[in-house]
Parts: sequence; structure tokens; C-alpha cells
Amino acid sequence: MMEAAATSGAYWLRLIVGLVIVLIFSQLNALFLVWLERKVAGHIQVRLGPMEVGPHGLLQTIVDGIKLVGKELITPARADRKLFVIAPVLVFMPVLVAFLVLPFGPKLIIRDMNVGLLLIFAFSTFSVLAILVGGWASNNKYALLGAIRSVAQAVAYEIPLLLSVMSVVLMVNSFRFSELVMAQQRVWFVFLQPVAALIYFICATAETNRAPFDIPEAESELVAGFHTEYSGMRFGLFFLAEYTNMFIVCAVATSLFFGGWHGPFGFSFKIPGVVWFLAKTYVLLYVLMWFRWTFPRVRFDQLMNFSWKVLIPLSMLNLVITALVLKLI
Amino acid sequence: MAEQFPQPAQQQLYSLNLGPQHPSTHGVLRVLLTLDGEYILEADPIIGYGHRGHEKMGENRTYLQFMPNASRMDYLSGLLYNHGFCLAVEKLAGIEPPERAKYIRVICAELNRISSHLLWFGTFLMDLGAFTPFLYCFDDRENILDILDRVSGSRLTYSYCRFGGVARDVDDVFIEQTRAFIKRLRSRWPDYHNLVTKNVIFIHRVRDVGIIDKDLARRFGVTGPNLRAAGVAFDMRKVEPYEVYDRFDFEIPTGSKGDALDRYRVRLEEMEQSCRIIEQALDQMPDGPYRQERVRLKVKPPRGEVYFAFESARGQTAYYLVSDGSPYPYRVHVRVPSFGNLQCLTEVLKETLVADAIAILGSIDIVVPEIDR
Amino acid sequence: MAAKDDALRRIQELLGPGAIKADPEFRTGVSHIVACPKESLVAVMEIFNACGFYLESLTGLDFQDTLELVYHVNTYEPRARTAVRVLCPHDGEVPSLTGVFASAFWQEREAWEFYGVRFSGHPDLRHLLLPDDADFYPLRKDFGTVHAYRKREEVYG
Repeated sequence: MMEAAATSGAYWLRLIVGLVIVLIFSQLNALFLVWLERKVAGHIQVRLGPMEVGPHGLLQTIVDGIKLVGKELITPARADRKLFVIAPVLVFMPVLVAFLVLPFGPKLIIRDMNVGLLLIFAFSTFSVLAILVGGWASNNKYALLGAIRSVAQAVAYEIPLLLSVMSVVLMVNSFRFSELVMAQQRVWFVFLQPVAALIYFICATAETNRAPFDIPEAESELVAGFHTEYSGMRFGLFFLAEYTNMFIVCAVATSLFFGGWHGPFGFSFKIPGVVWFLAKTYVLLYVLMWFRWTFPRVRFDQLMNFSWKVLIPLSMLNLVITALVLKLI
Repeated sequence: MAEQFPQPAQQQLYSLNLGPQHPSTHGVLRVLLTLDGEYILEADPIIGYGHRGHEKMGENRTYLQFMPNASRMDYLSGLLYNHGFCLAVEKLAGIEPPERAKYIRVICAELNRISSHLLWFGTFLMDLGAFTPFLYCFDDRENILDILDRVSGSRLTYSYCRFGGVARDVDDVFIEQTRAFIKRLRSRWPDYHNLVTKNVIFIHRVRDVGIIDKDLARRFGVTGPNLRAAGVAFDMRKVEPYEVYDRFDFEIPTGSKGDALDRYRVRLEEMEQSCRIIEQALDQMPDGPYRQERVRLKVKPPRGEVYFAFESARGQTAYYLVSDGSPYPYRVHVRVPSFGNLQCLTEVLKETLVADAIAILGSIDIVVPEIDR
Repeated sequence: MAAKDDALRRIQELLGPGAIKADPEFRTGVSHIVACPKESLVAVMEIFNACGFYLESLTGLDFQDTLELVYHVNTYEPRARTAVRVLCPHDGEVPSLTGVFASAFWQEREAWEFYGVRFSGHPDLRHLLLPDDADFYPLRKDFGTVHAYRKREEVYG
């Protein structure tokens, strides 16, 4: 699916089939992740998690989704109607776009754009805007505070995220995902750029509003979060968008640092690339979930200080050193 | 705090309610905060949502009929309150329980103290955002509740102690289960320390937060682990020993700075000291009667009063009983530790961040129903 | 011991010899009882405050002939608890201790709302446990169900 030379029927067919598969996959993935989170949480907390619906509770999310769809959609009386309704949609849109460029396998990229990596980060800013819109439109002091904090957090952690990613891009000289993954055939970048990998993962946790950086949606803090006023499937959309976002940041981490569709040191043991990719992504997702149920929450000012005073200087330093080393080699 | 409700004087100040319905507040508590951005300028706790009139009830019930009321005030230290009430009435009426009963009561009281601290530990961390320790603590706490349930019949609000002893004797299974529990709890300390105490995020959230120093504690009548964290080794079990506490070898853990981290450490250490007390009590417990037989159900203490203070899980609690010679008390007043502990927040919460308010509230360990009575 | 003895000595100087009764056996949970007139209350409490005591509890007692306020102060030594007893008429006034002990803010609010004793000088005397519009004093013996309403000498002799 690289640089389509002709607008042949086969090209369009592959495009459409790819889009449909991606849509289905993203929904199934979100459902699966919700179940996985509940199971991981349960087992870490010395209990079992959902067990009733389906074998080991596998159908729990579907049933919960049906329940959510059936709930009444309440709009607060003095909320800004149009913005209130559009916010959940706005938050879900960019995450779907990101699926277009993810390198699932050597021939399984829907559109291997030459600015693939940049596309994902450009669109992820939209979800921050959507959170702000949702918090503002709710006409609720608490929701607005949560939204404001979320925006501050997202802006602060976006910078070290991009700087750490830039270190990898400098090494490969391209934003194209297929080239980024191909460059890791022998050695994964996590060994060449450990600091960047660490910073990326921390920032990814903060960008997706996951614990320990989950103040914007914290239940036990003073502010109940930006999605306080949302009920029914609108809340469901925020929820699903968060899990899909988690998948995307982990998929990007896999592609940039953990070799994408390659096996370790280039040996694939006859297992198809897409299986390697998904396996690595899900391991990273498990680590993300592990964080949530282990660590307490970071206080908001400590969170901001950490980003501005620790992560940004560190990632800048890493970038400069990478550039120097590349120049000298 | 001169006005009824603080009105924001400028545009930048605004009032925010913390509670009364909120997953964080421990009981039905409402704190009216006047905020300047993220900083708290004034904090006014508003209580009374759970006022049930226990003291008025005390005047209309016999001493035995009032006994269930005692546990309902601080339901997390129900057995400690029940124990304290029995001791107060025994002192007033001149009843002396047998030795075995004293040891049984001390063991059960210390088990109750451990269960209260375990619950505090879990909820404190849940307030900070760590959901897992809550379940570990409840797992441990279930063991205590099972032990006490087996011997007293209740899991939370106990009326196990009676004037002159306890309601039922304990058997070998109780002793075995208690010893097994102590062993299990001690094996959990490394888990708790690894998961929480050594966690950098946790330490940064509680170190130097909500400092209650000795002078502040004295001015507001703060007692219990909050006072001990400030450096004052004041524990009623050592200062005015009652029952058989003077026969045990245990320490009073103290802190130095009085911040939330010290309060956390003091409570964790106290659980270990309670384990020591229980072990020694189990070793020293004699055989014999578990209840004094000659005590009437309708106790009629002579005219007079008694002010009996003991150490509950939250601090120094006292029963002030005034008797007019009839089976009904003339006055029952309960001095509860959470009263002073909560009141000191009017000063501690000033000039702190809103995010810290939750951490501070959690660290002082209040149970609002005992303030409301 | 030192703080308590020091405080009691100074109070004896202030109030005279008959005001303090000792209970060395600690039978009722206090080591000394100070019978204090309303006017000297603040002075007595300032002595206690200077000696490092804290206000442990404030209780009201309703008798037919008088209302009594019992202040229990304590310090961090064994058996140091002292009771300061103040008599005041129903619907009377007692000077407030908010300038001495910070815990008096809430203690006095509670005593006022349950007994109707006004504390003069309290900056913020409003309801603490009862609803804001309560216009009754529940712990008085003429409210609700009451078992016995006695004169003070029937209880204390």
C-alpha cells in the first residue's frame, strides 16, 4: 500500500477494506481493553474482576456498552448545547485518524505517509481541545477546573514527548513509519535511546490522562473531572476514546522503540509481523495498566514541575547529544 | 472568621464546597473553602449532618440500654468505645471485673484498634489515588472482623463488653485465630512498606504537608496519633493506665515534624505495637470467670460523677457520667477526639493547595459521626 | 506534676483557699476541682494556658435551680486533669474563652446551642451540630423526653 501509482480499482478496494477493518479493530480493541483493565485491576487487588458474563467475564464490556446506550442522555439546563454534544465526537475523531498510519505489519499500513508520525501527534492535540470544549460546555465549576488542568497537563507533557520522539527521527531521518520500523531490524531503539524511550512512556501516560497523572478525571479529588455532566453513550465515547488513545500511544512506542513488527534481533521465528506488533503493544498496555493500580496520584503542581523542570531539559539534552553523536559518526 | 459565611471580597476569590456528598470525606462532612485560585484562604468545616442526639438518649436510657449507642458514635472503634463505657460505669459503680475479663477486653480492644488503623490506611491512600492498598487492608481487616464476629456476634458495632466483664467467654479457637492473624499481619508489613512507604510519589504528596505542631495541637485539643506525630508522647494507655495496660511492654511511637508523613508512620507503628500488646496479653491471660456475677442488669451507681478517659483509635476519648442515684444517668457527655482534630483544620488548611486539602483531611483520620454524636 | 502544681498554686492565689478541692485518689477522674465564679473564669483559664494545659472538654449540666458548666483541662502529665466548675443562671452569660484556647470556638458553640448559655465575646456564636434555624435547646431538661429534673444538691449534695 505504498505510494499508489495508479488510481486502480484494486487500490480503492484495499483502501476501503483497510478502513473497515481498522474501524472494527479499533472498536473491538477498545472493548477488549476495558475488560483487560478490569481483570488486571482485579488481580492486582487480590480479587477476580468480572466473572459472570461470558467465560471469565469476556462479554462484560459488550453488556455494559448496551447498558450505556440505553441510558438517558441528560444535558445540563444551562449548558452550551451544541458544544456539549460535539465534544465527545470531537474527542473520538482524532484517535481513529491515527489508525491510518500505524505500521501493523510490513505490508499492513493503510497509508504510509511520509509525515505519518507527525500526523498522529498533530491530531492528538484535537482531543485536548475536545476535553476543554466538554468541560466548558458543561457549565459546571468542577468540570471546568478538570478541563483546565487537563489542558495544562497536555500542553506541558506534549513538549518532552515530541522532543524524545525527535531524537529517534533524527537517527532515521524520516517521519515515515515504515522507515522508522525498518531501521530497527537489528537493534531496537530502546537500547540505543533508553532515555528517550523512558521520557516518551512517561509523557504518553500523562497525555492519555492515566494514573499517576489522572487528575483531570480523578474521582476522589475535589474536582470530579471534565466528564462529570456526561451520561450514557456520551460518557461512553469519552471512555472508549481514552482506551483507544492508550492503544495508539503504545503502538507508537512499539514502532519507535521496540522494533514494530520485527522479532528480537531480526529473528521472527516464522511468526507474522502483525502478531509481534500487537503482542508488544499489549505488553506496553499492560504496563500502563499496572501503573494505574500501583501508584498514587501526583499532585498537580508537582506534575507541572516535573514536566517543565525535569523532563523538558532532559529530553532537550538527549536531543542535543543524539545530534552530536550522529554528526561525529 | 467574623461573618456567617465568608463572602469573596474581590472577583478572584470564590467559595467552593468540599462535600457533603463526596467520595473523600469520611462521614458526612462539608468544608466551605474560600479559594484564591488553587490556594485556600479560609476553611470552615460544617458538621451536624449526622447528629442523632446520643447525649439526650443517654439521659433517657439505663446504663445497659445506652451501651449499643456507644459503638455507633465511632463505628470504626466500636469495641474501644464499648470498652471505655463499661470501664466508666464500673468506675462509677465500683464494680471490679475478674482478671480474665480484663485480658479479653484488652485483646479485643487492640484488635479493634488495628482494624480501625487498617481502614484508615486504605481510605487515606484511596484519597491520594492509589486504589490497591485499600483492598489489601480490607483483606487483612476481614480476618479481624471474622475473629471478633465469632466471639461477639457483631462485625462492626460491638456490645461485647458488659459491666463486670464480657458477654461470652473466649475459647482456644479464638486464641489460635488471633495468633495466626498477628503472624499474618506481620508478614504484610514488607508489602505495605514496599508498595506505599517507599513510593516516591506518595512521599512527595505527604511530606511537609499539613503540619500540626505541638503548639497548634495544644491550642485545639488535638490528641491521638496527630499529637504524637508532633512529638508529644501522650497516650492514655501509658499516662493513665487502665485495665491491665500497665503490665505490658510496649512503646509509644512519635514523630518529629507533625506532617502527614509523620502521622502515617505513627499509625503504622501503632499497629505493630498493638500486635505486641496482643501477644503479651495472650501469653498472660489467666483462666477463671469471664464476668462478675453479682452485677445487676439495671446498674444503680451511687450519686456522683466520673470522667473516664481512654485511648481510642483516633485519640483521647472520655465519658463524663453524672449519676443521681437512679438507674438512668443524669448526664452522659462524650469527649471525642475528632472534635479537636477536625477543628484544627480551620488553621492548618489556610495557605495550602486544594489538592493538599484532601491529603490533609485523610491524614488526620476523623470519623464525623463521633463529632456529630 | 510541675505544671499542674504551678497552675494550682497561682489559682489559689487568685481565688482564695476554699476554691480548690483535691481528690488524690483520682476517684472521679480529676485530681482537683476548682469552683470558679464567672468573672474569674478567663483569668483562671489564662493561668492554665500559660502552664501548658489544653481544654479537654466543656460540658453543660442542667439543674432546676442553676446551670453548670464543667471545663476539664488537662496537660500531658499523668493525673493532671482539673475540673473547673462555673455556675450560671439559665439564659445567663458566661465570658468566652476564645481568646485563650482555640478549641473553645467550637466547644462554646456546642454548649450554647444545647443549653442556651451565651458566651460573651465569642466572635461567631452560631449553630454547630443543630440545623441553622433551630430555636430550641435540646439538652435542657424541659425539652423532649426527660427522665428526671433535679436540683443541684440532689446530685452533688
